[in-house]
Amino acid sequence: MTAQTFFIGFFGVAAVWFGIVVFRTFSMVRSALALLFSQTALGAMFLSMQVEFLGVLQIMMMATEMTIMAIFMVMFMMDPGGLGKMDMTHQKRLSLAVGIVSFVAAVAVAVFIDWGPLASTAPDAAQQTVDLGLELLGRSMLIFETAGITILTSMIAAIAVAIQPLKRNDKS
Amino acid sequence: MSIEFLLALMSGAALFGVGIYGALSQTNLVMIMMGVELILAGAMVNLLAFWRYLHPDNPAAQMFVLIIMTVMAIEMAVGFGVAIARFRARGSVEMEEAAELKG
Repeated sequence: MTAQTFFIGFFGVAAVWFGIVVFRTFSMVRSALALLFSQTALGAMFLSMQVEFLGVLQIMMMATEMTIMAIFMVMFMMDPGGLGKMDMTHQKRLSLAVGIVSFVAAVAVAVFIDWGPLASTAPDAAQQTVDLGLELLGRSMLIFETAGITILTSMIAAIAVAIQPLKRNDKS
Repeated sequence: MSIEFLLALMSGAALFGVGIYGALSQTNLVMIMMGVELILAGAMVNLLAFWRYLHPDNPAAQMFVLIIMTVMAIEMAVGFGVAIARFRARGSVEMEEAAELKG
């Protein structure tokens, strides 16, 4: 077993374990932090798979995103610290069954499909970034631009939905 | 089959399963969003594994991962917008109290 295999397995297990912790803890802040660790482990797994640019991007983006999520948790939850041990779940058995079936189906696809010959080497980090840049500004430019416009539109829409409505006679 | 490839696909499958469980079992909007994040993370791992072990010469798979990251950010922005609106209107983001949203 090479170091690469070990680290891919280690960070994969860590990502899944912290993903499970998200729904097992009563503290909502801990949930948000567990999701942050899960996504960070995923970023580390990408780095182990020699996908440097996206690995670093994943860690940076998710650190910010999950920190914001933790703040929202404290704002919106009735018991963010989980001291009251409130159970905020429903249809547990059905959800568990659907989750297990999804996992087994995905594993079956992974194991039983003939994926053909596998590549042993990947382009180096600099070459990957160059290739991705050329892809984004070439063949996939329309998709990339559409994603940019969509995220801008959703930001404006989210602010419009969240903003406090002014009363009709409010002059301010 | 490469063990690394299998490990990556298994991790993706497990994240997907955990995410499905979370999205279906939680009653709080923010927790449901966390489940959706895990489902998208599972998809992301699979895409990168396909790129790394099947087509390392084609950067389109990496572009798809960037699109998934965008979808994650959009989901968070819209979800928190809805959460703020709901909290302001009803003082809670518990989805069991939002039966009127069924239409």
